[in-house]
Amino acid sequence: MARLSTTTDVFNAIAEPQRRDILALLAKGERSVNEVADSLRMLQPRASKHLRVLREVGLVSVRDAGQQRLYSIDAQGLKPIHDWVSHFERFWTESFDRLDAYLAELQGKPSPARSTPPVKEKKHGRKH
Amino acid sequence: MAANTDRSSAAGESFVLTRTFDAPRDLMFKVWTDPDHLARWFGPKGTNIVKADMDLRPGGSYHYGLGMPDGSVMWGLWNFVEIKSPEKIVLIQHFSDERRGVTRHPMAPTWPLKTLSSTTFTEVNGKTLLTLHWSPHEATELERKTFIDGMSGMEQGWGGTMEQLVAYLAKIQG
Repeated sequence: MARLSTTTDVFNAIAEPQRRDILALLAKGERSVNEVADSLRMLQPRASKHLRVLREVGLVSVRDAGQQRLYSIDAQGLKPIHDWVSHFERFWTESFDRLDAYLAELQGKPSPARSTPPVKEKKHGRKH
Repeated sequence: MAANTDRSSAAGESFVLTRTFDAPRDLMFKVWTDPDHLARWFGPKGTNIVKADMDLRPGGSYHYGLGMPDGSVMWGLWNFVEIKSPEKIVLIQHFSDERRGVTRHPMAPTWPLKTLSSTTFTEVNGKTLLTLHWSPHEATELERKTFIDGMSGMEQGWGGTMEQLVAYLAKIQG
């Protein structure tokens, strides 16, 4: 199943710390392979190899810019991870919202205000 | 996540979710362990439990099928490890199929096959603080990495927009 292998490959790709470093760097803007190698203190062939893996799983794309090729993050490639995490998070948030309402019903209390935030709400702070 | 869900992420390979519910602990424990109650809240909006088999005891299990809005069924299997009413339930969680098999979720094939889940209920002034603690169980290196990445992502709000996800990736270390 195409979708299955894409998700496996994406997770495999980001499991490698050096590839995560590359993605973190590219998140700031597109870079050539030499810029990636220099910034991350990697030898060029290694950077090149990582970039190829990242391109293969769709996390990175490349464009020709005259003498060099510039690599950038491909948001579409992140979609499987993004989707999975959203799914997991939504599962529990919505279950808990339903539980809130159900508990209110069982105890004859008014239903609590829904806590699921509207779609456009900016991320709230996280406490630890 | 929701405003009244406090989240914290323990160091290492576990993820903790907490939330306070307006109900006494005995009731919370009951709605969490009685299959008829579970069917009334467990699962996202638009889903419903289409089949459930509950054997509530250490060594027993809960096998359920969650009917999804698109008509498919998502199966889960909980193997109970410890049940201490009304304060704690420890179980091993798996994605499953109709035949009680252990499976992978198609959206995340490298997610741990088994997740140890510990739920505790603490009563405070007539309300219950629920704490859900998850960690990979008997997992491979890749499964553990997938779990940590996924849970860190949730901690940082991967459930949000793509821009937030990319910004998060800009922050994580190897």
